[in-house]
Amino acid sequence: MQRLAVNLRLFGQGALLSYIALFHWLRPATYLASKIFMPLAQISFFTYLGTFATGSDDSSFFVIGNAMQIAAVSGIYGVTMSIGGDRWNGTLPYLFGTPANRLVVFVGRASIHIVDGMVGVVIGFIWGVLLLGLNMSQTDLPALALTILITTYSTSGLGLMMGSLSLVTRNVMFINNTVYFALLIFSGANIPLATLPAWMQTISKLLPLTRGLDAARILIAGGQLADVSTLLVGEFIIGCIYVFFGYRLFRWFEIQAKRRGTLETV
Amino acid sequence: MNLQTMIVSWRSMITVAEMTLRQTVMDSFIIFTVLLQPLIIALLALWMLRDKGSEYAMFIVVGSGLTGLWSSLLFVSGNSINTERWSGTLETLVGVPTRLETIVFGKNLANVTQSTISMIASYLLAGVIFKYNLHIDQPLLFSASLFLALITFISFGLVIAPIFVMNPSVQHWQNAMEFPVFILCGFLFPIALLPDWTTPISYLLSPYWAARALHGTSTGGASFEEVAFYWAMMILFSLIYIFISARLFRLMLVKARRDATLDVE
Repeated sequence: MQRLAVNLRLFGQGALLSYIALFHWLRPATYLASKIFMPLAQISFFTYLGTFATGSDDSSFFVIGNAMQIAAVSGIYGVTMSIGGDRWNGTLPYLFGTPANRLVVFVGRASIHIVDGMVGVVIGFIWGVLLLGLNMSQTDLPALALTILITTYSTSGLGLMMGSLSLVTRNVMFINNTVYFALLIFSGANIPLATLPAWMQTISKLLPLTRGLDAARILIAGGQLADVSTLLVGEFIIGCIYVFFGYRLFRWFEIQAKRRGTLETV
Repeated sequence: MNLQTMIVSWRSMITVAEMTLRQTVMDSFIIFTVLLQPLIIALLALWMLRDKGSEYAMFIVVGSGLTGLWSSLLFVSGNSINTERWSGTLETLVGVPTRLETIVFGKNLANVTQSTISMIASYLLAGVIFKYNLHIDQPLLFSASLFLALITFISFGLVIAPIFVMNPSVQHWQNAMEFPVFILCGFLFPIALLPDWTTPISYLLSPYWAARALHGTSTGGASFEEVAFYWAMMILFSLIYIFISARLFRLMLVKARRDATLDVE
C-alpha cells in the first residue's frame, strides 16, 4: 500500500514538474504562441492548400485532419522533451541513481501531455468551427472526446519512444521534426489514404493517429461510437505497442549507460 | 564610408558567409529546415494538386522553395546574433572593428543562399519522382528575381535578428510565425483565397513580392512590367528593412554596452 502511494506521488509530481519546466509557465506567451496560434496557422495553411488543390468548398477533410494532427505536437515534442530533458540538463545520473519505479517515471512524464494534447486538438476544432466553416452539428461529442483521448495517448506512445531515442542520439529534434511532418503525409491528415501507394498505406497502418483521424472524420460526419469502435481499439493497441517498445528502449539505455559509463555522453 | 572600408567590409562579409556555410552545412536542424521540410511540403502539395495538371508543378517547386527560405530566415537568420550569445562569442564580435551588421549580413547571406537548396530539391522531386516536364518560362527574369529575393530575405533577417535579441518575448512567437507567412505571402496558393482584410498585410511583406516575381517568371504568368513592379517593391522593402535594422543594431549595442547585458538573456 505504501509503495502504491509512493508511486502515485512520483507519478503526479514527475508529470506536473516536467510539464511546468517544459512550458515555462511564468511566461504564458510561449504557451499562447505554441498551443493557440501555431495550431491555427498550421490548420489554416493546409486547409487553404487543400481547398485550392481540390477546388472544393468543403474544407472539413483538411480541418479535421490537421486539428487531429495537433495531438502529435504534445505527443511527440512535449513527451520527447520531458524524457530527453533529463539528459541535457544533467539530471539523468540522479534519476538513474534513485530507486524510483522506472515505468511510473516514464509514463508519468507523458500523462500531462496527453491532457495538454487533448486541449490542443479541441482548440484546433474550435478554430475550425469559428474560422474555417467546420460543421460539427451532427457530431457525437462524447465519442469524439474519447477518440481525441485515445489518439493523443497513442501519439504520446510514439513520443515516449522518441524520448527514449533522445537518450542515445543528439539529433532527436531532427528525428522529431521529420516524424511530425511525415505524419502529415502518412496519417491521412491531408491526403486520402486510399490514394497512396500500397507501401505507404502499410506504413500508415503502423503509425498512431491514422485510425483516430479516420474515426474523428466518421464521427463528425454523423457516425456513432459503434461505427468507430474497431478503429479506436486499433488506435489504442498501436499506442500500447509504442509505449512498450519505448519503455524497453528506456530500460536498455539505462543498463547500457550504467555498464559503459556513458550517461552524459553526447 | 570610403572605398577601402567598403572593400574590407565586403571581404569580412564574404569570409563570415564562407565560415557560416562550413559550420552549418552538416547541422541537422538546418538540413531539416532547408531540405526535408520543404521537400515534405512539396510532396504533399504535388500529391494534393496532382489533378490540376503539370502547369502547377513549377508553381509548387518555387513555392516550397520559398517555404524553405522563410523557415531558414526565421529560425536560423533570426537567431544569428543569439547563437553568438549562446556560444559566448558575442562580446568578442562587438569588440572587433568590423561592424556587427556586416557580420550578421554575412551570416544571413550564407543561410539564405544555403536555403536555395530547397528549391533545387523540390525541382528534382517534381522532375524525377513525379516525372513532370518542368521548365522556367523566363529564365533571365527568374534569375534576376531570385537574386533580388535573396537580398530582400537577407534584409528582412537583419531586422528580425536584433528584435529577437532585444525582445525575448517576441522570440517565443518564433514557432507561430512560420506558417502565417507561408499563407500571407501566397507561396503555395493565391492570397485571393484569404479574407480581404489580410491583403494589406501581404503587401507589407517583402516575401510576398518575391513570391509574385518568382511565380510570375517561372510560369510565365506575369508581363515584364508586372515583374519590374515586383522588383521595385522588393528593392523598396529591402531599403526600408536596412534602414530600420541600422537603427535597431545601434539601439541594441547601446543597450547592451550601457547595461552590460550582452551575455544575459
